Amino acid sequence: MLASRVFSLVGRRSISTSLCLRAHGHGGSGGRRGIKHSLEGGSTGICPGWAVGAVPSQEGPPELLFFPQLSLDPWQCPGPELGEWEASLPWQVYRIKFNETYAEMNKGTNEWKTILGGVLFFLGLTGIILIWQKHFMYAPAPHTFSDEWLSAQTKRMLDMRVNPVQGITAQWDFDKNEWKK
Amino acid sequence: MANHSQLTFQDASSPVMEELMGFHDHALMVALSICSLVLYLLTLMLTEKLTSNTVNAQAIELVWTILPAMVLIMLALPSLRILYMMDEINEPDLTLKAIGHQWYWSYEYTDLKDLTFDSYMIPTTDLPLGHFRLLEVDHRVVVPMSSSIRVIVTADDVLHSWAVPSLGVKTDAIPGRLNQTSFLASRPGVFYGQCSEICGANHSFMPIVVESTPLANFESWSTLMSSQ
Repeated sequence: MLASRVFSLVGRRSISTSLCLRAHGHGGSGGRRGIKHSLEGGSTGICPGWAVGAVPSQEGPPELLFFPQLSLDPWQCPGPELGEWEASLPWQVYRIKFNETYAEMNKGTNEWKTILGGVLFFLGLTGIILIWQKHFMYAPAPHTFSDEWLSAQTKRMLDMRVNPVQGITAQWDFDKNEWKK
Repeated sequence: MANHSQLTFQDASSPVMEELMGFHDHALMVALSICSLVLYLLTLMLTEKLTSNTVNAQAIELVWTILPAMVLIMLALPSLRILYMMDEINEPDLTLKAIGHQWYWSYEYTDLKDLTFDSYMIPTTDLPLGHFRLLEVDHRVVVPMSSSIRVIVTADDVLHSWAVPSLGVKTDAIPGRLNQTSFLASRPGVFYGQCSEICGANHSFMPIVVESTPLANFESWSTLMSSQ
């Protein structure tokens, strides 16, 4: 299941950008609730820009409350109930004009998780390859890498005053016979 | 010689190498500022804060012509200064010939005595305890310290290159051609280098070791070597 999900995140990415966007949560008909746009009737999908508002809704124009005399009486104009805002005229006009709200447009995706997962995967794969070749391929290190040889070599470097300005000899305290703190 | 895992230069043992290290610091700072600027612009682009209004304007054309020209001048002037400094006529005290062979160096001191010797790498199996693998040789190039040394580099068979990083010297050894370089060892010590032009199977196994000593020690060494 995970492998098929990975494929859907990565495999389709190599085919088309719009498929990739859809995999990470963009696209689809998320913006067009309450208004059906279809040329055949019944199917939902992303409406092309030129068709916005071109096809009248099959349900007819929205119902509006009509008041013969307007007043400031709050009971005359009830506030929106849950779900009424999406059905109200201003919202529908907004949706006719704009595909997505600012919030939907600026919404982040989960793409970073795919990328991070891919990077970590390949880092791990590289690590496995390195461990394998260290174990199975490399010859043993020369005898000059033994601790005894390295300490004799370091002593010789200090005696020869190798790199005395800022290098190894500059880090050694010759009076106290120890590394400088 | 370098420490294990050393990334930076070895300490300079000649005035030219000190100048080169200073120039390298300068060039690296220029490179760092360019990279920072590019990274900053990349971040602006990726966060959609850089628009075509910015990059299509006439003023920015002037900026991104003048600014790179100034950067190039800032790099070229110090570089040329050091280049000409290295080429100065400096009346060398000693002339030494270094001839590259497959796969060893031979040296000729022909100024006073006829001194010629070969310099082979000591194999790893024959190294005394604590000596440096792939760097030690049987006969070192001994030179007097604080004296201007001229080295004439050539080769006997294929291309080689005579290089000693802490002296700031690298000169190609080309068969049929004499290349000249010079150095001045500021302090006594032993300076290691390796052949720097691919020359066959044992290209990595023909090192160069320059030992700079006070003049008296050099003279006794050359007397001893000539008598052998």
